[in-house]
Amino acid sequence: MATRNRTLLFRKYRNSLRSVRAPLSSSSSLTGTRSGVGPVIEMASTSLMNPNRSYAPVSTDDPGNSSKGAITVGLPPAWVDVSEEISVNIQRARTKMTELGKAHAKALMPSFGDGKEDQHNIESLTQEITFLLKKSEKQLQRLSAAGPSEDSNVRKNVQRSLATDLQLLSMELRKKQSTYLKRLRQQKEDGVDLEMNLSRNRYRPEEDDFGDMLNEHQMSKIKKSEEVSVEREKEIQQVVESVNDLAQIMKDLSALVIDQGTIVDRIDYNIENVATTVEDGLKQLQKAERTQRHGGMVKCASVLVILCFIMLLLLILKEIFL
Amino acid sequence: MVLVTSVRDYINRMLQDISGMKVLILDSETVSNVSIVYSQSELLQKEVFLVEMIDSISVSKESMSHLKAVYFIRPTSENIQKLRYQLANPRFGEYHLFFSNLLKDTQIHILADSDEQEVVQQVQEYYADFVAGDPYHFTLNMASNHLYMIPAVVDPSGLQRFSDRVVDGIAAVFLALKRRPVIRYQRTSDTAKRIAQETAKLMYQHESALFDFRRTESSPLLLVIDRRDDPVTPLLNQWTYQAMVHELIGLQDNKVDLKAIGSLSKDQQVEVVLSSEQDAFFKSNMYENFGDIGMNIKRMVDDFQQVAKSNQNIQTVEDMARFVDNYPEYKKMQGNVSKHVTLVTEMSKLVEARKLMMVSQTEQDLACNGGQGAAYEAVTDLLSNESVSDIDRLRLVMLYALRYEKENPVQLMQLFNKLASRSPKYKPGLVQFLLKQAGMEKRTGDLFGNRDLLNIARNMARGLKGVENVYTQHQPLLFQTIESITRGRLRDVDYPFVGDHFQQGRPQEVVIFMVGGTTYEESRSVALQNATNSGIRFILGGSAVLNSKRFLKDLEEAQRISRSGSHMV
Repeated sequence: MATRNRTLLFRKYRNSLRSVRAPLSSSSSLTGTRSGVGPVIEMASTSLMNPNRSYAPVSTDDPGNSSKGAITVGLPPAWVDVSEEISVNIQRARTKMTELGKAHAKALMPSFGDGKEDQHNIESLTQEITFLLKKSEKQLQRLSAAGPSEDSNVRKNVQRSLATDLQLLSMELRKKQSTYLKRLRQQKEDGVDLEMNLSRNRYRPEEDDFGDMLNEHQMSKIKKSEEVSVEREKEIQQVVESVNDLAQIMKDLSALVIDQGTIVDRIDYNIENVATTVEDGLKQLQKAERTQRHGGMVKCASVLVILCFIMLLLLILKEIFL
Repeated sequence: MVLVTSVRDYINRMLQDISGMKVLILDSETVSNVSIVYSQSELLQKEVFLVEMIDSISVSKESMSHLKAVYFIRPTSENIQKLRYQLANPRFGEYHLFFSNLLKDTQIHILADSDEQEVVQQVQEYYADFVAGDPYHFTLNMASNHLYMIPAVVDPSGLQRFSDRVVDGIAAVFLALKRRPVIRYQRTSDTAKRIAQETAKLMYQHESALFDFRRTESSPLLLVIDRRDDPVTPLLNQWTYQAMVHELIGLQDNKVDLKAIGSLSKDQQVEVVLSSEQDAFFKSNMYENFGDIGMNIKRMVDDFQQVAKSNQNIQTVEDMARFVDNYPEYKKMQGNVSKHVTLVTEMSKLVEARKLMMVSQTEQDLACNGGQGAAYEAVTDLLSNESVSDIDRLRLVMLYALRYEKENPVQLMQLFNKLASRSPKYKPGLVQFLLKQAGMEKRTGDLFGNRDLLNIARNMARGLKGVENVYTQHQPLLFQTIESITRGRLRDVDYPFVGDHFQQGRPQEVVIFMVGGTTYEESRSVALQNATNSGIRFILGGSAVLNSKRFLKDLEEAQRISRSGSHMV
């Protein structure tokens, strides 16, 4: 696809017009450095959101020019810090997820040890990730803005984008957990089957010592199946808990996330809606203002205050004359 | 794929090199270009957190210098003026300007003059100046589409504006495809000739360097034709999904607005999206006829009910987990099913109310089969029928008039009178105006298959064999044109080359631009033709996408202007 860059021509015109406009000022050197400052700052900033903090140099030349310095300080509003925090948390959760994946794989490999350490590791990682996700989700709610304004639209959109990321992460976590549990269960079953087979094989050649052997084997079998059922209960408990946690997160997030392919995902629909909500909001604000001004509450309150003053005055007069 | 992909690539390139939070500023035309190929969620992924129109951006005085502004607008004089004001009082930290078409040097000069704060970082031309609705179909969404019917003497500036916009759009398509075509036009249309010549001048003279692309073995072909050569297709009622939705309800930028229907329940969707890129069901059914769609929708609903039932049957913990996992998919499926069911239900209601089965049968007969006497009878009957709406009556008379213009003028007159008496809203003389614009003398192509001997024979054979579906027997004239191009037999007499262009053999890429607008029936023909992999890839574009309402509106506007013009003369 063809494109054409007109920036050079544009800059040429701009420079020539600038010299025509202010031939005596030394602004050319300053503006020269300014374009150098921008990219340096951008490279230094490593945050995910990477807001543009462009600090334009304070112009020391003609005071006439500095009156137009509307964009001298480009600090983003406070909520950007919150959104940055959330994205940092999301990034942390992502790295922990890869760690979790590795831990899962390690735990599934046959080992000589007890495997309790691996389990512990997995549990702690899962808890950390769930905690991070929950925290991010709470912070996300803080991003909701009140009142229709351009800034609130930006906030809403930032919220949506972070909500989508969070939802994807939580779904990934769910999938990882369920595959791990499935494989674990399969392994355990194989293990139990193997043991059952072994015990059966051992049982065969010792048919003559029927009585005691039978009881012992039966007892061990019963104990084994008890352990298995206890473990399964614990696993089910875990699954239920995580389903609960993540279902809660997903429910909250689904209100924020855009359904792809629907009308809500259309740019022109969002622009039109913004326009109408801004208008509606304005109308409501005006209405509220009007009712407040003519409100009965204001009148009541003022009447009461006046009465108070009158009473006070009477009291003072009573004291003076008595 | 080609058109949609090129616009998406342009937008991706615009956004990917600029880091940080961005605001995207569009004008009323580019908002359609962008919305139809790019979704809001994709914008959010590219860190575009605000989208605004260039008109409303200057209203608020908030300074948002932590955002970088990305402008994507058409280089019109109004936009340049608005941009001037906004550059002089900048609200954002950086300004990146992308124009959807060629900038004049004077415009760059004006912008440079107003950029006193030096906030503009780049000025680029990214040629996404068309609305790519489907992979091989684009439109320019022109509001004053009717100007093509008005002769140059009546409104020269209007025609110039029309022509400029069309030339810009065609140039953008070829720049996006990186091709320079050989140009042919329909001889009988002055507007088409003018557009073809101005496009040639732009591509081969004024901006010759820009269009100087790597030459392929055979140059692509640009064919500029006129809507008036085939006035029948926009007048017919449609029975394939996409065309039918546009005809009965209206499809604008791949969106359907169901508000006009008015019979929806509260919680139902009011506006829906029908895009072949995002909706797999739509993609496989958009060219199917109404009967088949009904069956496919029923199948989809059955599948969905199965899924819903299994979701209700949650007994074990695993079921619960699986439900939570699959919930987003389930919700999406539910939304899609309800959308299609709503659309088909509404359309069925309209078909029933307007008795379109009956009307459409006569329409198809008028368009495809012969027999003047029988046709006259049928049309008269329908005109007398109370439940036929005014617009349908008008269409029937127009189709009859186009077909039997010269046969039996007495009966034709009778029909005109009957129409005028039956339809109070009918503007007198509209049918005659149509005949003046698109009558037999004005047409090049063999619209009814009764000029060319080969076509007559073909029609007879078809009549003997019988048709599969009475309602979809019509083939637009464009189909014949495409066939001629495929065989390399497009007549020079009817479609001459511009200047000294020449093409040997068959082209491998053809862009057909229809001045006056295309229809979805024609885009369907093109898509089906492309699917046959004949070695030639066709792209269709027009100044608008017509349905019968729009076509009639354009006719009325043109008639009004012609009348007032002739009064002034």
